Amino acid sequence: MREMLTGNGAAAWGARLAEVEYLPAFPITPQTEIIETIAKWIDFGECNCRIVMLDSEHSMITAAGAAATTGVRTFTATSSQGLLYGMEMLYTVAGWRAPFVLVNVSRGLASPITLEPDHNDILAARDCGFLQLHCATCQEVLDSVLLAFRVAEDPRVRLPVIVNLDGFYLSFTREPVKVPSVQEVAGFLPPFDPQNQGFRAGTPFSQAVAVLGGTAYSYFRYQSHLAARNAEAVFTESAVLFNETFGRSYQAVETYCCDDAEVVFVMMGSFATKAKAAVDQLRAAGQAVGLLRPLLLRPFPAEAVRRALVGKRGVAIVDQNLSPGYGGILHSEFAANLYGCRDVNPVLVSFIGGLGGRDIGPEEFFEMVNITRAAVASGCIPPPRLLYTESELRDMRKWQSIALEHRSGGELQ
Amino acid sequence: MKTASRILGTAFFLEGFEVQDAPRYGAERRGAPISAYVRASHREIKERGIIRDPSLVIVADETLVPMPAAGVFLGLSAQTMLLIHSREAPEVWRDRLNVEGPIRTLSPPGEDRDRLAWRHIGTVCAAAGARLVGVVSREALAASLKQELAGLNAASLEENLDHARWAYDLMEPGQGRVAPGRWLSAEAFPRPEWVDLQYEDARVAAPAIHAAMTSEQVETGLWRTRRPVIDPAHCKRCWWLCSTYCPDSAIRVDESGRPQIDYAHCKGCMVCVAQCPNHAIDMIPERVEPNAAMAGKDS
Amino acid sequence: MSETRFKTVRNLPPDHLLGTGTAMCAGCGGLEALHQIYDILGEKTVFINAAGCMTLLAVYPFTPFRGSWLYTAMASAPAGAQGVRDALDILLERGRMTAAEDLQTVVLTGDGAAYGMGLSATSGAIERGLDFLYICYDNEGYGNTGQQTSGATPHGAGTATNKGALGYPGDKKDLFAIWAAHRPAYVATVIGAEPLDLARKVEQAMQLTGPRLILALAPCPTGWGFDPDATVQLGKLAVETGVWPLKESRGGKTMHTKVPKKRLPVEDYLKCQGRFAHLFVPERKDSVLLEIQAKIDAYWGAVECHGAVDP
Repeated sequence: MREMLTGNGAAAWGARLAEVEYLPAFPITPQTEIIETIAKWIDFGECNCRIVMLDSEHSMITAAGAAATTGVRTFTATSSQGLLYGMEMLYTVAGWRAPFVLVNVSRGLASPITLEPDHNDILAARDCGFLQLHCATCQEVLDSVLLAFRVAEDPRVRLPVIVNLDGFYLSFTREPVKVPSVQEVAGFLPPFDPQNQGFRAGTPFSQAVAVLGGTAYSYFRYQSHLAARNAEAVFTESAVLFNETFGRSYQAVETYCCDDAEVVFVMMGSFATKAKAAVDQLRAAGQAVGLLRPLLLRPFPAEAVRRALVGKRGVAIVDQNLSPGYGGILHSEFAANLYGCRDVNPVLVSFIGGLGGRDIGPEEFFEMVNITRAAVASGCIPPPRLLYTESELRDMRKWQSIALEHRSGGELQ
Repeated sequence: MKTASRILGTAFFLEGFEVQDAPRYGAERRGAPISAYVRASHREIKERGIIRDPSLVIVADETLVPMPAAGVFLGLSAQTMLLIHSREAPEVWRDRLNVEGPIRTLSPPGEDRDRLAWRHIGTVCAAAGARLVGVVSREALAASLKQELAGLNAASLEENLDHARWAYDLMEPGQGRVAPGRWLSAEAFPRPEWVDLQYEDARVAAPAIHAAMTSEQVETGLWRTRRPVIDPAHCKRCWWLCSTYCPDSAIRVDESGRPQIDYAHCKGCMVCVAQCPNHAIDMIPERVEPNAAMAGKDS
Repeated sequence: MSETRFKTVRNLPPDHLLGTGTAMCAGCGGLEALHQIYDILGEKTVFINAAGCMTLLAVYPFTPFRGSWLYTAMASAPAGAQGVRDALDILLERGRMTAAEDLQTVVLTGDGAAYGMGLSATSGAIERGLDFLYICYDNEGYGNTGQQTSGATPHGAGTATNKGALGYPGDKKDLFAIWAAHRPAYVATVIGAEPLDLARKVEQAMQLTGPRLILALAPCPTGWGFDPDATVQLGKLAVETGVWPLKESRGGKTMHTKVPKKRLPVEDYLKCQGRFAHLFVPERKDSVLLEIQAKIDAYWGAVECHGAVDP
């Protein structure tokens, strides 16, 4: 069945098909549609799940982790400020090794407060111990929720997973989405097996106890890392089964027109499809350009990234995030990953674009290729380039003249 | 001991040394063993954290010596001087501990091991340590005490100064006997036995305990400085009182209705002593054998 | 209360369920109350804990519990209880767990979480009618970090953050009333120094479903400045001076379970604690002492007039 679904609708369908049993919830734009959709299904008997409205995302993530630890399949969703409000618990429940799925609808962070997307929210959660899947299409959102449950619950992993989709560009955007049948999904995703863990009378279980000293702490923290490292192979294995079951193929790192490319874009999330469109145009103009998109950001698919970049001359990394005082976060991840690789040493050029939902035009993609080629040719790597135009600055000046009225509407110097 | 380390630290500082002092304790707020350390050098101190190779180890509570968790023997070598606050002679300790290094003991005369004796323990230990190290003058020690104990009233401060002078004088024969610390050679050193941690099932690899009552393996009885002893002759076997009030569940009632104190875990709070309506629970210093204390009382 | 199995102190449990060997301070009034409560609750419990002194009850690999435990964070223990309770219900409904395996869901926090950071999560859990028992050990300050002023610190008390001559200028928040205003199934104050009253209330709470609070004043030798052996004595004084009214609330009606016949002057309670020493030396702060006494008298005056204090 193929039907028109928003990214939020696709996330809700993913949860429904995964037959989630528990949904602790809290509203936040642009995520709210997900929990409202599932709530309606519950109210009309289409979904056998318990929904509970918590008082905050902090409470919501606590409840989700507690329920997963007790042994039920749990799903929840948030966005932006909510993700950060719950940040303490992201780290905490990941340490419990509580497998559940959290959908984050990416949205720029305050201040200034905004509703539109970028990736600073999800990247703030980069090191919390959750695995991260970054979706580019509404179809991928639904599919990623199913994949996420399978990976999270695997005994070789046992970690919670965040499935990330961009606000507006996916959350409120409808696309045709293939919704698999319950029977098909049952063949891919077996019921949650808590492996005899959970709170039961007669079986004492003290979870998340304190430790004293670095010996116990180092061990437990590093075990989370080893679990996350295992997750890459488990993801790949699950993706093969997914392809066999549903006929859609996913890889930890998506490559588009990369094989013979000289210059490659690196992007995450829905804006990557804009880059794909630009690649098509560039290819039509005879330029060997491709795209690399990590679907899996944690664990970081280091080897797959390196393989995809063998022989590339230039890489334009487009970060929809900003680490003030450094620049783009993906850029630092890629630079670190490629450091010291003798046969993989493309020039990395950093671009910051799409902050707070700011669009990226095709001409900007084309120009990024020019700049990257120039850097390759000269060996001079330019500083990070913010995608920001003169006309945007003129708009800012106009607004500033209103905001700073005492300057009597005059031009700022 | 935190105070002791600060007194000693400031004394070194006043003598012109570069100094580091710090307490090190577990999660307990009060009652559990703690340690503290001081480093002093004429050069900038770049080391940090626990002292792996101490020149002087001062033990304020001798009951901690046999307790592995207290770490009294951490890094102890033939060069380490051991100063134990104890009535027993150094020879007794040497036989008992089988250590090579110099041992001294320190026992304030005429004082019982009651709480009063403990009031100046930090001062006494710091003063004795200062003399043994040999580079802290009487004046610097006094100045340090005045600085670190500034919160005390004049009389208490004077008491502390008295105790400090006494301990400082007592250690005169050992003045300067503490050997300076040594550095680990970068040429010949034991290689760290690093292991490659392997993934383990989340059941064991999460900070979770799949067992009950394991805390009973922690002997909090070592916290005690005083010991409650039930006098069976006076116990009316009301059984619910001491047993219910005991915060630590360390008093249980046997089949005959007699309360039994679990000395492995009793922390010595003395709530039972204060609450027993028949005054059938006595309080004795921890050091005295309970049998001796009860001699003649038991039927 | 007529059906109580705790008719006299002799009915109190002779066996204790809570393990020894915990890191709580000697003479801990909170631990005293907890072990008495646990004796009544039994081992079919899962404690959901918030950051506080009692987080250190379970330090890897040691736990004093026969049942289960989940440490969450400071603000969200009631939300953890929500997740556990809901999950247990789901498992029961779907036949993946037997009724015999079910657990009582018990939140355990100090006053820092209960009166402050955790209030939002607590209020949410009560409004949702969560079936849980909330135990608060109230030692009137952030005890685990060295007794800084919390929302539960009483007027005039000296704390690590109120060391001035008059102590804490604010008033202790009325958590009983905050809970009671939510109309939960049950709210009660207890103290380890009155174990029979405590046992009856825990028994009462266990017979009810929905949100239930057991609020235990926890005399704290370390934070309040008194010798550990005085924990019970101080607890009794808290009751006899009227500082800590023993009461319960059900169905919107509040009852006092132990009304001191002749209240002792509050000074008797204050003067044996280091945290109030500045009210007596170097000179008496009569105005503060009178103010504290007046508030207690006003409280009990209202009780005597109406038989109850409306929350």
